[in-house]
Amino acid sequence: MFRRIGRAFKEAFWGITHHFAMAFSTANAVTITLVLVVIFTVLVANISRITIDVEGDIQIYAPIEETVADEDIGAIRNRIEKIPGVIRVDFSSKEEELQSLIESFGDDGKIFEIYTGENNPLPRAFLVSVGTGYSLAQISSQIELIDGMASATYGGATIEDFVSLLTGIRTVGYGFALALTVLAIFLIYNTIQITINTRKQELGIMRLCGANNSYITAPLVLEGIFIGIMGSVVPILLTIFGYRYVYERMNGQLVSGILKLIPVYPFVYYVSAFALAIGVAVGLIGSMLSANKYLRWKR
Amino acid sequence: MITLEGVSKQYKKSGTHALNNVSLTINDGEFVYIIGETGSGKSSLIKLLDGEEQPTSGKVMVNGINVGRLRFSKVPYYRRKIGVVFQDYQLIQTKTVSQNIAFALEVINKPRKEINERVREVLDIIELSSEFNNYPDQLSGGQQQRVVIGRAIANNPKLIIADEPTGNLDPRRSKEIIELLEKINKQGTTIIVVTHNDILVNTYRKRTITLENGYIVNDNPEGGYYNV
Ligand SMILES: Nc1ncnc2c1ncn2[C@@H]1O[C@H](COP(=O)(O)OP(=O)(O)OP(=O)(O)O)[C@@H](O)[C@H]1O
Ligand SMILES: [Mg+2]
Repeated sequence: MFRRIGRAFKEAFWGITHHFAMAFSTANAVTITLVLVVIFTVLVANISRITIDVEGDIQIYAPIEETVADEDIGAIRNRIEKIPGVIRVDFSSKEEELQSLIESFGDDGKIFEIYTGENNPLPRAFLVSVGTGYSLAQISSQIELIDGMASATYGGATIEDFVSLLTGIRTVGYGFALALTVLAIFLIYNTIQITINTRKQELGIMRLCGANNSYITAPLVLEGIFIGIMGSVVPILLTIFGYRYVYERMNGQLVSGILKLIPVYPFVYYVSAFALAIGVAVGLIGSMLSANKYLRWKR
Repeated sequence: MITLEGVSKQYKKSGTHALNNVSLTINDGEFVYIIGETGSGKSSLIKLLDGEEQPTSGKVMVNGINVGRLRFSKVPYYRRKIGVVFQDYQLIQTKTVSQNIAFALEVINKPRKEINERVREVLDIIELSSEFNNYPDQLSGGQQQRVVIGRAIANNPKLIIADEPTGNLDPRRSKEIIELLEKINKQGTTIIVVTHNDILVNTYRKRTITLENGYIVNDNPEGGYYNV
């Protein structure tokens, strides 16, 4: 048993050392692939979170016209609550609006205190929370159609554009990473094909003497996996140190304060494990395809 | 026992009909020559027998195994029951005589002790005991071919098939090879030899099957070269 495993390892290393240049350049190709996969993974993971944050946080600010009497406000509220996608409607009085304005300016907010009472120019408003998956723009325009409502606004079109841009990046990233992975599999496949060619005679004799499929395949597959692992070293280091660097440089934020980056640990370990898994899988699949092709052809 | 029933082989790539409606029976312990001009289908017949190729139609049975329908994952286990020898010696140059013979048993995971014992026996049969530690390039062609035969018999097969085992050897070495195969045959192993060598066929008379354009045109139990 141990003798058999030892042999497979020995032969796999023989393959790598025997045409090291080829194995090395394949490992480099795997490295490039995995670097891109890792970058996309980090981006996608952050984007997914940002999207969730953004969608969860957004409220529509819907000011009420001055002409609306206090006793009619309840009816308007009922109509807004009936719009599909609206989870919650909070009423905010003139005083509350002023208070949150003052608070939003921090220490400088005191200057607005002169507007307290009779002088308050701010409108009463509804703060409308929207469920995930509903279009903010569509709900805003439905609110605007209600009598007594002025134009409703939400964090602005910019956020929605931003979210859809991020989703676009995510899709392109997935596609690109997948294409690169297929390319890496193909490169491993070719390298193993070269091993098979240089060892053709020996493999032929093995086959002739009745070596079973796994006896012939095991060293070839191990070689493929080694190359995959070799190729994932740099991407893993890059993930751990690169992401930490970026995170620290950007103070854990992206674009503006509400979009927080995923904390470095344990996130980088998950991404590293993912890169290693892809490296191993790429090596495994490429070499299996190659070895099986040989066995079927040779019988 | 080997039986072929209406076996035809057409190669997909070239479309060549290498064998046409071949039927024959070879009993256990027989020694059979297969002769015929180049391209007559001799090697194709050998490849059907060792499971390398599958018949286009017909049935190839060897010791109760339907070789033509063998799944490719089962081929190795069939190979362990037969020994195959080719014209080019096919020895691993970086291994010694004993290591080359042992290789046949290592790849089927025989225990070390059993391998060592069997290698010694085989070296004795092929009469190369004193050359056990030589590398192939330190041996004559005839000696190398004896090592190949030694490797083929290492696992005690009931059947040896040899495709032109004397193809690269001078008449004296060729005789040595046939005599070695005869010796193995006497111990009960069935031997099938493809050859071009009419001197051998006429000297060591055995049942002789002649192929022509993929057809069996003669099957002579008395032996001797077939002349039209
Ligand atoms: N793998 C193959 N693919 C296509 N055609 C083949 C293949 N092997 C053999 N043939 C063709 O089949 C026919 C029979 O070939 P085979 O090798 O069986 O002849 P042979 O009797 O062994 O000849 P030789 O004495 O030259 O070895 C030939 O026409 C050959 O070209
Ligand atoms: Mg031939």
